[in-house]
Amino acid sequence: MVEQVEKRIWERLFKWCKSLAGIAVIATVVIALLATFDRGGYVLVNTVVTGGMTALVAMGLALTLGVLNIPMFAHGEYFMIGTLVAYYVFTPISNYINTHPESILVFWGPLITIVAAMIVGALAGVVSEVLVFSPLRKRSRENWVMNSFLLTVGLSVVMINAHQVFFGADFKGITRYWAGMPITVMDVFISRDRAIAFVLAAVVVATFWFFMTYTRTGRAIRAVSQDETGALMVGIGLKGILLLTMSLSCALAAIAGAGLLFMYPSYPSVGLEPLYMAWFVVILAGLGNVLGAVMGAFMVALLKVLTIEYIGSGWDFVVPSALIIVILIFKPSGIFGSEVRGVLDK
Amino acid sequence: MDKTIPTVNPFDKLLNLMCFTPLGLLSLLVLVVLPMVPPFNQEYLIRWLISAAFIASLAIAFDFTAGLINIVNFGYCAIMGLGGYTSAILAERFGLTPWLGILAGGVVAALLGLAIGMITLRLRGIFAACLAWFFGLALMGLATKMVWLTRGPMGMRVDRLFETQSNVPYYYLLLIIMVAIYIICKWVTRTRMGVAFKAIGQNMEAARTSGINPVFYRVSNFVLSCALGGVLGGFYAHYYGILTPDMMHTSKTVEVLAVAYIGGRGSLWGGAAIAFPFIFAMELIRSSLSNLPGLNLLLYGLLLILVMIYYPGGFAEFFDTYFRKPKNKMMNYLLNGERAAT
Repeated sequence: MVEQVEKRIWERLFKWCKSLAGIAVIATVVIALLATFDRGGYVLVNTVVTGGMTALVAMGLALTLGVLNIPMFAHGEYFMIGTLVAYYVFTPISNYINTHPESILVFWGPLITIVAAMIVGALAGVVSEVLVFSPLRKRSRENWVMNSFLLTVGLSVVMINAHQVFFGADFKGITRYWAGMPITVMDVFISRDRAIAFVLAAVVVATFWFFMTYTRTGRAIRAVSQDETGALMVGIGLKGILLLTMSLSCALAAIAGAGLLFMYPSYPSVGLEPLYMAWFVVILAGLGNVLGAVMGAFMVALLKVLTIEYIGSGWDFVVPSALIIVILIFKPSGIFGSEVRGVLDK
Repeated sequence: MDKTIPTVNPFDKLLNLMCFTPLGLLSLLVLVVLPMVPPFNQEYLIRWLISAAFIASLAIAFDFTAGLINIVNFGYCAIMGLGGYTSAILAERFGLTPWLGILAGGVVAALLGLAIGMITLRLRGIFAACLAWFFGLALMGLATKMVWLTRGPMGMRVDRLFETQSNVPYYYLLLIIMVAIYIICKWVTRTRMGVAFKAIGQNMEAARTSGINPVFYRVSNFVLSCALGGVLGGFYAHYYGILTPDMMHTSKTVEVLAVAYIGGRGSLWGGAAIAFPFIFAMELIRSSLSNLPGLNLLLYGLLLILVMIYYPGGFAEFFDTYFRKPKNKMMNYLLNGERAAT
């Protein structure tokens, strides 16, 4: 009996390895390892850290695509809100730490900052859903994908320039969250910030996965993403789910922004680069596939790191674009496929 | 038996052929005269006029895709930039005359449009928007990085089209290009093809069921729009005299998009009509409130959002509902031309 189960597992694993998803994942791992042997460990470390944070942004984007059917162009702006809130919360905390080096805030301050950014990001998501998307949803549902896309374009312009008008266009950054010696792994120095940022991303992704898989609300969200009418029929409150999803995905982007403040100082268009990355990931993994987005994020991060490493910086839009074109020609539903039909049907 | 065919005088025939209403022709005449009227004959106002006319032309060509077949070409300015760089490189490296170079820019842009269209237009609209966007990013990256060809962010110097210091000839050339683009787009919409475009834009499934091959029509629409963009890019290169990769940035596309949508999607003339007052208002805000940079774009975005939610037809629909049906026969002729009056 046990043997049979074991055999079935092996069979399924073997089958998975032969599918496109399996090949892509294995190829990513192999290429990452080869590059690590070739150029040293920092390639792997960079990939993992960038990938973790990209995963957060991309997951939020995939969620809005899957559940709300909104191709979010303003998602980078929630990242920007995260950096901005983190800057304004962390600056007084860091001043306090400088005068009171023994205080408990030395460790907890940055975490408080990130939680604050998360809350504000979620609120921003709620506000934009209530003020922008739900009026449009009430007024017209035809051509929803294109119209909402244009709406997010407008939203992005408004938020970028509101930042510029109210907070100025200068770089608002911090040097570090956690002081102390860098950690050494495989002869590579990783600053504490990067290490903790990765751990944070991993924790958030795991929590999020747990939430989506095992809680009632998470299941309701997935149900809405698969079939809106069906979800309504079984008694899921659509309005609440849409609001919750929006705030969740914006909160994810804001966490990423706050977590990476030491790398990306806050300025009006800071969100553009994460936005591009997240879109690459989402198309690569399949529109609306949330868990595929996590894996896709590491692939895109690897691709980016390798491009910078072997070809030079500045080419890091050209190579992923070329890859996306190949994907769209041969497998438009993405590497991991997508159960979400809404995006394609409407 | 004695059904008399209403005699249409040659002027109205010509107007109908050019797809202008008498009011449209009148406003075009105003635009022609404008650079000679005192406040507008200063050099900087002429430059504003040119940039407004440029955005207007882009908005017409953009609306041809966005309004008719409902696909947002999100890399439009990058495609325009490709046309500009092609024209500039041909002129600088191979000594081709700019007039042919501008056309060559259009051809190259059309080829890129064909490639993007062939890849994505068999899929849903959002893929086309995204891929055009990524193509745009990649093109901008290439223009920044291929310094040996484009001189990268330092900017590529291009000989200007005319040998005068004055900008007035450029303005008239641009007006001619704008009218030509408008007439081409309008002519296409009057043919069978235009009907097919509208059918696809409104309901693709229904169009497919009635025997329209959506891929063919969408690709041809996309290619035409890109070609017009490329020609405008060529003009841009030879007007400003300097090309930087910045002109291909997504925010420039957003500007065109906002004008096209506020003007009224699918109308073609709406974007052109709104571009002139709009660009002037933006420039005024920018120059008078220079201590608050970004305010003009903030208003821009807000206006776009409001129009998208509450008045999706834009200015064109507003005009059609409230001004287009006057009781007065003279006014009716002015607004609608001979065909509607009879």
